[in-house]
Amino acid sequence: MSDPGSRRNAEQVNADVERHGRDLQKVNERLRELVASLRSEKARFAPDGRSAHAAMPVSTSSAEPADLEVRRLASELALAREAVEHANAERERLRDRLTEIEAENRRVCDEYVAVQERSSEIAQLYVALERIHGAASRAEALVALQEIVINVIGSEELAIFERRGDDLVLSQAFGVDPRPLRKVRVGAGTIGRTAATGAVYVAGRGGEPDAGDADLSACVPLRVGSRTEGVIAIWRLLGHKPGLDEQDQAMFDLLSAHAGIALGLRARAERVGEA
Amino acid sequence: MVRKKILLVDDSSTVLLMERMILSKSQYDVVTAKDGVEGVEKAVAEKPDLILMDVVMPRMDGFEACRKLREQDDTKAIPVIMVTTRGELASVETGYAAGCNEYVTKPINGLELLAKVRSCLGQ
Repeated sequence: MSDPGSRRNAEQVNADVERHGRDLQKVNERLRELVASLRSEKARFAPDGRSAHAAMPVSTSSAEPADLEVRRLASELALAREAVEHANAERERLRDRLTEIEAENRRVCDEYVAVQERSSEIAQLYVALERIHGAASRAEALVALQEIVINVIGSEELAIFERRGDDLVLSQAFGVDPRPLRKVRVGAGTIGRTAATGAVYVAGRGGEPDAGDADLSACVPLRVGSRTEGVIAIWRLLGHKPGLDEQDQAMFDLLSAHAGIALGLRARAERVGEA
Repeated sequence: MVRKKILLVDDSSTVLLMERMILSKSQYDVVTAKDGVEGVEKAVAEKPDLILMDVVMPRMDGFEACRKLREQDDTKAIPVIMVTTRGELASVETGYAAGCNEYVTKPINGLELLAKVRSCLGQ
């Protein structure tokens, strides 16, 4: 038979054992949760993204993957800086090349414009020669000269004189009153002086014009060898033509050398034909 | 590539020769007329891609010829460039009122003329 006091003590001990068992179970559950938390943390810091659950023991310090990550990032940063430096150098090289190409492009464009302008100038001179020497008669040669002055030089005020002894006789006039121009003495005024000297007169270059000749823009002697056989007088230029330039000077030189010959030959041919 | 045809209308042989030289080196076919009446007739007959028209001409001036071209169905769409010594604003306005597309003053600048020709031809 058991002692009631002893039985009470045994019940007390059993209760204590059960309570301690429950406490141990709670501690065990808390430890299990802690381990799971540490494993999760370790997996987060794994360098290659793989779960560190199997590769690394729970007891490994979390500082090691952090160091690896820092070193990896530092390496990536160095590579990125190198790539940026390379890209900057390439950008500078391309910028220099672009500048070179732009300069080359400007040079080629300038050359193209210069060639086209030169081509246009030569075309003008060719057209003038073709028209002067292609004229079938003296009258056609005079019309050709008038058209050249109007359309190539750019003046609608002109007169063409031919020499008769010591006088210049008006052969053709356009845009000016012909009455005071019918006869000009060689050596008199700017037109007469051009015939006397055989030199091209261009306003603003060289000598001053005579009184009354202020509107004259140019006088071109029509030479046959050393003798002046006529003069082309040009007054005001077209309103949109700013002035006479080097190309006009080249045209004056051509007219001076060829127009006199063309007019003289056709006049002689007509005289022979009449005779 | 099909060569474009350009009709030159001017009473000056010097200008026609000059324009022909400038245009033919750029591979254009060229036909010519000596005044406005002949210009309109040639435009109908030749169906050019472009017309260069002088203003001051016998029988019919360039403004009147341009108006005639704009009145006819088969010529009203042909671009016209006025090429003239008349550089005054009033003349330019009259040219555009008559229906021209561009206006070029003489003496002809080859580069300017070619640029406007190419522009009118959409080149």
